[in-house]
Amino acid sequence: MRSFVLLIKISWRNVWRNPRGTLLTALALGLGLALLLISLGLLDGGHEQTIANGVRFGPGDVAIQAKGFQDSGSQELLLPAQVVSTINEFLQTDSMKQVLLGASPRLLATGLLSSAANSASVTIIGVIPREERAVSLIPQRMIEGTYLSDDNPAGIVIGADVARKLEVKTGSKVVLMTQAVRQPGTKVKDVTGGEMQSTLLRVKGIFRTGIEAVDADVIHLPLPVAQTLLGVPDNQVTQVALFLRHEGDSLMVAKSLRKRLAGAPVEVLTWRESMPMLAQILGLDHAFNYVMNGVVLAMVGLGILNTILMRVLERRYEFGVCKALGLRPAQLAMMIVGESLALTAISLAFGLALGLSVEHYFATAGLDLRLVFRTGLPRALVVDPILYSRLSPARIVSSVIIVFIMATVISFYPALKAARTKLPDALKVL
Amino acid sequence: MSGRLLQLAWRNLWRNPRRTFIAMAAIALGYTMLLFVACLMAGLRWQMIENGTRLVLSEIQVHAPGYYPSRSIQKTVGGGKGTDVSALLGAITADSRVYAAAPRVYGYGLASASHGSSAGVALMGVAPDQEPKVTALNTLIVKGSYLTRLMPNKIVVGDKLASVIGVEVGSEIVLLTQAADGSMGNDLYTIGGIFHTGLDVMDRNLVLMPLASLQELLHLTPARVHEVGIKLYDINEATAVAAALEARLSKTLPVQVSAWPELAPDLADYVQFNHGVTLVLFFIFFLLAVIGIMNTMLMAVFERTRELGMLMALGMRPVQVIGLIMAEAAGLAAGSLVLGGALGAPLLWYLQKHGLDLGGATGEVVSVAGVVVGHLWYGRQDFSAYAQAAVGLAVTALVSALYPAWRAAHFRPTEAIRKV
Amino acid sequence: MRWHKTTMGLLAGLLLLSLGQISHAADDQQARKIVDRVAQLFSGKSSIATLQMQISGENGQRDLTMKIWTQGENALVRITSPAKDAGTAILKISGDIWYYLPKVDRTIKAPSSMTMTSWMGSDFTLDDLVKESDLVRDYSLANSFEGKRGEVAVYEYTLTPKPGAVVVWGKIVLQVRQANLMPAWQGFYDEDGKLVRELTFSDYKTTGGRLMPSRLVMRSLDKPGQQTVIVYQAVAFDVPIGAETFSLPNLKR
Repeated sequence: MRSFVLLIKISWRNVWRNPRGTLLTALALGLGLALLLISLGLLDGGHEQTIANGVRFGPGDVAIQAKGFQDSGSQELLLPAQVVSTINEFLQTDSMKQVLLGASPRLLATGLLSSAANSASVTIIGVIPREERAVSLIPQRMIEGTYLSDDNPAGIVIGADVARKLEVKTGSKVVLMTQAVRQPGTKVKDVTGGEMQSTLLRVKGIFRTGIEAVDADVIHLPLPVAQTLLGVPDNQVTQVALFLRHEGDSLMVAKSLRKRLAGAPVEVLTWRESMPMLAQILGLDHAFNYVMNGVVLAMVGLGILNTILMRVLERRYEFGVCKALGLRPAQLAMMIVGESLALTAISLAFGLALGLSVEHYFATAGLDLRLVFRTGLPRALVVDPILYSRLSPARIVSSVIIVFIMATVISFYPALKAARTKLPDALKVL
Repeated sequence: MSGRLLQLAWRNLWRNPRRTFIAMAAIALGYTMLLFVACLMAGLRWQMIENGTRLVLSEIQVHAPGYYPSRSIQKTVGGGKGTDVSALLGAITADSRVYAAAPRVYGYGLASASHGSSAGVALMGVAPDQEPKVTALNTLIVKGSYLTRLMPNKIVVGDKLASVIGVEVGSEIVLLTQAADGSMGNDLYTIGGIFHTGLDVMDRNLVLMPLASLQELLHLTPARVHEVGIKLYDINEATAVAAALEARLSKTLPVQVSAWPELAPDLADYVQFNHGVTLVLFFIFFLLAVIGIMNTMLMAVFERTRELGMLMALGMRPVQVIGLIMAEAAGLAAGSLVLGGALGAPLLWYLQKHGLDLGGATGEVVSVAGVVVGHLWYGRQDFSAYAQAAVGLAVTALVSALYPAWRAAHFRPTEAIRKV
Repeated sequence: MRWHKTTMGLLAGLLLLSLGQISHAADDQQARKIVDRVAQLFSGKSSIATLQMQISGENGQRDLTMKIWTQGENALVRITSPAKDAGTAILKISGDIWYYLPKVDRTIKAPSSMTMTSWMGSDFTLDDLVKESDLVRDYSLANSFEGKRGEVAVYEYTLTPKPGAVVVWGKIVLQVRQANLMPAWQGFYDEDGKLVRELTFSDYKTTGGRLMPSRLVMRSLDKPGQQTVIVYQAVAFDVPIGAETFSLPNLKR
């Protein structure tokens, strides 16, 4: 054991025998590692934001809907009232209260919105303003007027492109026309049935999400108004969208809900199931990342190898002396490995210091993507203009471990070379 | 820089072959990896652009000015009278960079199957013989067959649309639309084929039919088309060719010619992002090069303190010493490039021919920026990226050598000679 | 005595005031009656009308002749000319819209929202053609002008939507000829007071037992050069129409 500690001390001192070289190398490697950490943080953060935004503009981390709704999207498919109350009960339990950020019941339908100037077909979302405010992003994207409030029953908020097409502004009158939902049990002869209902509404606010599909199509109105308009019985809704504090809990929550609601004609979907395209984009990104990270690590590894190997090669005389003095090959090898690890440790110190501080800046102030994408934001990525870095401790730890392992493995070749130093050739000075 | 100096530099490098080789090998490997990633990224970009444009969009589009964004049926190329379509196509293909061009007509309407279910659809009329040269929807037919000029009433729809209104190959379908003169254009068609693109919006809304049939339905004369789609030999020339075409065609016909970055800005953004990622990797590679070269040169310089001191005592000027060291570094870089290139070439060839299979990580098919990407990534040669990396390396080498060179130049000959 | 005078004065004042009120009320009542009559001009429990429609716009001019049956919420429109459109029919029953297309001999179902969109490219919607006027139900009345507009002496009324009325307009201005109490002009304004559509009435004839304008011209002000002219050739009101008229088989006839 003592010799082991001694070896470590010697390795450390050896590394510092060439202070300038060591520092330079460590700086460069550290920079590479810092970059790795920063990009990991930004990419992870980007992912989180993409998910969060997708989830918050859409059906939440977990969505409960009538069975078959995901496929058909028919506004006839509603959640029975007792399902809704079961869900509510479940959400009140302690375990759920811990993970839940909010729950938003919604009624979804399509209709025609008309103004004096024009009409547009829209997707109607009936919401409870208080719940929706807590979870959805639309209330935070108002560019004119204000979001719905519980005390204004006839107000609606519409997307910016809808407003433009209809040539309306806050306070303008609009008429919403939609087909009432067929009551269950009525004889169905036609494929699409139901009376046409119209109602007068006033534009309370206009929002812009930046997502064309939403801005040109979506309107929000108070749930009771939507229910009346659509003739929905018994306070039914189309969907209950759950928003969790941590996306990671989605699966667990979905499982529990499925158990609770077993037998009911409902489907409980995590966001991966309700928005498969989002899941796929992230899958692609992940693959991308692995390739990138692999290459970066490999390059860092090469840098370490280069440095250690070169040093080994020019210390033949020294190794010869060591061996002549009784140092065993295995010990010599360990010393080299130790030096590699020492160099790595110093590099990591720089890397972590630089990387984590920059990452911390990006985690708090964020990286303004508008500076990067001057032509405008890529709509495909669906992120805020400010990208926040999210580097989890697990990521940092695993990166450090991987780097150390790599440094160890990489140093085997130089270590081997050092161990095989042949006496008496090594002692020949010239 | 005198040739003698360069010779000297090169020989100096090889006086310690192992060290030089190791440094070269490290940098060469880094360069190889860079080539690999650049090739892969280029392949991914190309695949995305191809997939984005080859389905329907095409690489360049020609319209009447003001056609976008309203896409009014009235705004045909050449105005209400239209234009000589074959002459227009000829004028376009006269540009040797153009591979093929095909005319299109668009409309909106209602598609209804015999048992009453109807759906709003986007109608696209294409020339069955020419369109397959420009886009590739014809390769995505899963049931039945593509359009043919010989059967003007056979149309092709997406699989989601087919299931929503309940039709299959051979079913009858009515298309109802508002014709150009305001009347209700309507006619009977048969489903000739069903396609599957993987893109929901197309599979659910698009109806493809022969150009002449749609013109008839919309009460448009054969001279009236809304768009000409163009495919090039080299898609990278899109923006340049679009500008050239617009300048040339506008002399006789008012047109607006747009290349795919304008038509699919999401895609263009993603491509830019992709470039950005590659640049980051470049940067890391240069860091690696700095380590390798600076270390090597520093060692080389300090080892030869006595020798350099002697050279300077004999009259070599500091500037020349610097030149020598820099030349050695340049040599190192050059050697690395050659080695890295040699190692990389077979890798690149493999990547281009067989591709990288990411099967498990992404699942069957992915849709990004409105484009479908498979799990098999093919590489594509990106010579400009390779060259940029090489130039960057050369510059990095010279910069890395500056410090060792500067140190060397500042040796005091009297002290240096005495160094053991 | 002074007390008497003051009271008398007060009483006289009150009397005058109430007379004024009464005459106002009379005015109001008269206005309402006039507007009611105008609103009822084109409707009845049922109606059968033959009319000609001329649509002029940037793509030239089109002439259509059609026959329209209405009864309550149901309506049937059949186009009789020109030949290429003849036989095309649209049926509105129980909130559904059906089209019969003679060229392909098929009946298809259309989304009900088509009732609010332009009819055949004209400036009228299907609703405009077949629905009962909502002037009476949804608007409150104010007498805004009396006198000459151009060459014609008219009563002008400003109709403001009642609170909660499901209409998109900010106001409607109706000009009624003083001579024959026939509508002369109707303007549709948005809430900012901008004129969006205008409807001009002329050629007053007695048809189906009523005096009514037989020529209507609708213009949308954001599309200059575009207008639609409707000429009523024959109208009959409150005639019994069999229920089978508003059925799918009848659509094809």
